[in-house]
Amino acid sequence: MYKDLISGVVLLAVSGTYYAWSSQIADSTLSDEVGATGLPRVLSVILAILAVLLIGRAMLLRRARTATAAADADEGDAGLPRAIGFLLLGAVYVFVLPFIGYVAGTALLIGAVALYEGAPRHWVVVAAAVGGAVFYWAIFVKLLGVHQPVGTLFQGMF
Amino acid sequence: MTTLWDIIHLLTETPLFFVAIGGLTWGILGGALPGISASITMALVLPFTYTMDPAQAIALLACVYIGAEYGGSIPAILIRTPGTNSSAATVIDGYEMNRQGRAGEALGISLMSGVVGSLFGLAMLILLTEPLSWLALAFTPPSYFGLGILGLSVIASMSGGSLIKGLAAATVGLMIATVGTDPISGVTRFTFDIPDLLGGIEPVLVMVGLFALTELMSQSGSSTVLQLNETIRIKLPSWSMMNKLKRSQTIGCILGLFEGLTPGGGGSIAAFMSYNEAKRWSKTPQSFGKGSEEGVAAPEAANNTVASTALIPLLSFGIPSSNSTAVLLGGLLMHGLIPGPRLFEQSAQVIDSIYVGSFIAIIAQIGVGMIILPACIWLVNRPRAYRAGFIFALILSGIFTLNNSLFDLGIALALGLVGYLMRIAGFPVLPMILGVVLGHMVESSYRRSLVLSGGEHMIFLQDPIAVCLLSIALIFVVFSLSREFRDARKTKIEEAHS
Repeated sequence: MYKDLISGVVLLAVSGTYYAWSSQIADSTLSDEVGATGLPRVLSVILAILAVLLIGRAMLLRRARTATAAADADEGDAGLPRAIGFLLLGAVYVFVLPFIGYVAGTALLIGAVALYEGAPRHWVVVAAAVGGAVFYWAIFVKLLGVHQPVGTLFQGMF
Repeated sequence: MTTLWDIIHLLTETPLFFVAIGGLTWGILGGALPGISASITMALVLPFTYTMDPAQAIALLACVYIGAEYGGSIPAILIRTPGTNSSAATVIDGYEMNRQGRAGEALGISLMSGVVGSLFGLAMLILLTEPLSWLALAFTPPSYFGLGILGLSVIASMSGGSLIKGLAAATVGLMIATVGTDPISGVTRFTFDIPDLLGGIEPVLVMVGLFALTELMSQSGSSTVLQLNETIRIKLPSWSMMNKLKRSQTIGCILGLFEGLTPGGGGSIAAFMSYNEAKRWSKTPQSFGKGSEEGVAAPEAANNTVASTALIPLLSFGIPSSNSTAVLLGGLLMHGLIPGPRLFEQSAQVIDSIYVGSFIAIIAQIGVGMIILPACIWLVNRPRAYRAGFIFALILSGIFTLNNSLFDLGIALALGLVGYLMRIAGFPVLPMILGVVLGHMVESSYRRSLVLSGGEHMIFLQDPIAVCLLSIALIFVVFSLSREFRDARKTKIEEAHS
């Protein structure tokens, strides 16, 4: 129930922010009766109602289950920091890609994820990372003809 | 109208043949990986289809779906871990057969029952889809609005026990769909002067983020070690065995057809229902749970039937009844293809390619299934750490392929985080995806209807198709609401008793 309460508050904040942003949408002479702001405003109101319902339900259930309040307070997800760490590896990849290019970036990503997920520090990690990067480069760049970033550091090499 | 010549031409067309085999192979490999569902397998390949010919791209996705449904049964039988949700029922007798040293036989029964189910499902798809879509020829903007609402009403049955959360997720999905250029006036909304947002947020990014990235994040740090016996080979059932399995396969096919047509039905429900019915109608019900061949055949026939019949409401009306068909809808929209009668009129090639590609994939499944089994076992046995690295790199490379945009990568990663948080908080992701894919249609058809009527909402009640679709949507919602209240009351009574 604790999670529902937090979710409700977050949704309420999303709804308010979205409504505020929707009021910044420019008017158009081509606009119809509903207008470009019509649906966004309705959606923000609907989300706010749902958020209030979620909060209300969570509070009612919390009161009804006082005996398990302590257990509720312990609700959480131990995997969250780890999952965010995993995602951050992807974010770093996106950040360095324009500089080091696709092959080096992908090799680093595969190697970093493998180590992060518990692969032993061994030459196999390096081999898998480099092999994987070259394999993907062959598929995407050579086979599919997709222009992946070359990287400012390695410009002219690929 | 498709002629025999069109079919023969497509059957002999080299690229479609390879596309079908490629999709099937990828589907079996993806489905065989525990945690990688059919929809994730499809979402992973979705960015690759961006540069492909639309007809081949959609055929590829349909073939991936077929392959993933079979692939899921491999770990279900070998290590008691269903590769996909819909193969969960196969675990019961499939794994028991494996324990009795009959793994090859179980895999063979699963494969052949899957082929029977898929062929039946394909026949139903061909027979029912086009007639149903004729109805949609009479569609007007109010009808399309009704159709969009009907699609969204699926949310009610897919909210995983919390309608409020399902509706909230759908609303956020609709909000995402409003990003970009307004469909009527052309003004920009929520773009914050970022050029990459002018075209909106592509549904494919939402799908890859919410399905694939969320799953990878959830599996992060998992210490589960899977080890399959590498010497196992498929043993196809004999004619007499196939004859014995006739009844259970028929049950699977019929229930698969019914569940495929029902929004929110899906392969897992069909598989479990078929298992129960096959047991009820079996001459040897006592053997169920103890390594019964019929216990493998019924659920496998059912979930493979669903892989085809779930396309009937999708192609006829644009209603995705499951995660996998939502990904397929994303593929259609990505290529500018709108499901419904216009798809049959203007892009008949796409429909023919789905039919012919699926047929090739189903038949080839027998050979490919046997050949690829060692590769599946090898893949499942790889250390999870390396697998995660390779899958993550594949996802990010694929997303970049869409628009050569690093911004897209950022959006997908952010949506991965959103999906993960939704999972923690118990919010279903499918309603959000439905909101994203149907949002544009709902808004534009609603506003076009009002332009036509001069602002009169009565237009929605004057159009018979719109009335019919909105009524069905209302029935779905009322039915789902009553089910939710019933379940909640049941839980309350059970809690009071305990």
